[in-house]
Amino acid sequence: MVLLGLLVYPQLVSRYYIVLSTEVVILALLATSYNLIFGYAGMVSFGHAAFFGLGAYAMAILTKRYDSPMLVGLLAAPVVAAVFAFVIGWFCMRTIRLYFSLLSLAFAQLLWVIVFQWHTFTGGSDGIQGVPRPEVLATYASYYYFALAATIVCMLLMWFIVNSPFGWSLRAIRENTQRSQFLGINDRLHKIVAFTIAGAFAGVAGGLYSQFQKWADPELLFWTTSANPVLMSILGGMFSFVGPAIGAVVFVALREIIKVRTEYWPLVLGLVLLTLVLIVPGGIVGFVVDRVRPLLSARKGQTSTP
Amino acid sequence: MSITWDVGTVLLLVMAGLTRAAILFIVAAGLTLVFGVLRVINMAHGSLYMIGAFVAASVIQKVGGTWSFWLALVAAPLAVAAIGAIIEGVVLRRIYQAEHVVQLLATYALILIFDDLVKMIWGAEYKSVSVPASFVGSIAIGGRPFPIYNLFVTAWAMALAGGLWFMIYRTGLGRLIRAAVDDAETLEALGVNIPRIFAAVFVIGAFLAGLGGVLVAPLGSIGLGMDVTILIEAFVVAVIGGLGSFPGALLGAGIIGMMFSFGITVAPDMAMAFVFLAMVIVLIIRPWGLFGEPER
Repeated sequence: MVLLGLLVYPQLVSRYYIVLSTEVVILALLATSYNLIFGYAGMVSFGHAAFFGLGAYAMAILTKRYDSPMLVGLLAAPVVAAVFAFVIGWFCMRTIRLYFSLLSLAFAQLLWVIVFQWHTFTGGSDGIQGVPRPEVLATYASYYYFALAATIVCMLLMWFIVNSPFGWSLRAIRENTQRSQFLGINDRLHKIVAFTIAGAFAGVAGGLYSQFQKWADPELLFWTTSANPVLMSILGGMFSFVGPAIGAVVFVALREIIKVRTEYWPLVLGLVLLTLVLIVPGGIVGFVVDRVRPLLSARKGQTSTP
Repeated sequence: MSITWDVGTVLLLVMAGLTRAAILFIVAAGLTLVFGVLRVINMAHGSLYMIGAFVAASVIQKVGGTWSFWLALVAAPLAVAAIGAIIEGVVLRRIYQAEHVVQLLATYALILIFDDLVKMIWGAEYKSVSVPASFVGSIAIGGRPFPIYNLFVTAWAMALAGGLWFMIYRTGLGRLIRAAVDDAETLEALGVNIPRIFAAVFVIGAFLAGLGGVLVAPLGSIGLGMDVTILIEAFVVAVIGGLGSFPGALLGAGIIGMMFSFGITVAPDMAMAFVFLAMVIVLIIRPWGLFGEPER
């Protein structure tokens, strides 16, 4: 049903909504990739934008500078992001909790400075403009379908990952690292692998994003961009697979609704975020699961399964 | 650009680095003090600094005259401290026991809120404040001119470092603060009013951020975005020195101040990268920083 709606919908609405939907689809992929480490493994990375940005630049540089086919760019984006995620993850795993967050932030900022300053390779503060799209994906609708397809494929892959023994091990590590160690789970290796996988999917999202915007700029790696997937995960609910994607939808919808009324979108976002973390930490999905569903099932005389 | 490396150049760069370090120390000291006691990284610390600068600009513009700067130097940090008291009461108090991510997100939300509030009140245009009349001009250091105001900022920071040291190590409040850093629970069991200590520390931290904002106002343009810039720099300083460590903030500020000053002269493109590289290396080798202690 949902899928059918996503497929038919661009035929019915104006270009503005198609462009917006494309952005939502890509950000949903980014947020879901982030939640692999955030929700499932319990690692609060504040540097996820680095992998998003690296993917974006991999796509932009390869297709614009070196006239590579888009497929090369789309494959290179996750590979480049994964390589960096592996190295950064390897170092970050040496630290715990707050220091993990800080180190991931520091690495992302380091990459941001490099991208910002390396004019000859990355275009410096101007970024890389005019990222090409192949003929078939020239229209807004066609690119929407392409991004949607790519996101669905990636989401399915991630779905299999989180429901594999590996995914369950991550949850075990999140819940109780010591006990999972007793069970013979190599927690450090699991976390590094999860970090690398999350980085790779963020890279795909980045590659799609720079092609969609036809532009890669250093802002994509900046720490304020890293806050967005965290925010979307919290908004939609970090303890469910689809939560972050829903968070992305709500995030963009909210932004557009507010932006036509006031220029103070960040203010509203800040207030929403503050309310969320202070009052409903489970996010929208968590709220539905915890509060609404028990109400419904109680009415039907059933017990809900957690 | 070729540089002649004589004594004068080095001296000048050291002085310039000290000015930068002075501002960084004042801001980072607040950040690190708050973390040490409250165990919260206040992401909105840079916003408080920005508000300090804007309030100072308004006071100086509205009052005018020779004394306006001195008035701003007192009024702006106090105003920011008052805002700090509100933040503590409304937001921080609810999240002391929460996970790091909740604390980071709640204070990140404050960045967004304050950024727009500043934009509403002062507009998006850059503002500038002229150097107070008493400190206009420059003196010769190593045969080259060096602005007097920068010397004043450095001296002020040194006096403040002394004052803070005295407060932390020689007063009753300081003793309680140090005890709270070590073990807030036991302190509470001993009958000390911990919430009040926490509030006091947060207000002091906000005051320091505001003070940094006032002092930096005549040094450059005042605008939106200065909150995020200083936050990251103060972060680097506090992390390198060790989060929660007061001497660490002093040393960290010195290191980063010099890295900026010499780095921008030697390799302008890479100065900032070196700063983050330093943070990365410290976090990998000694995550708790040069003077900090491992997290319990």
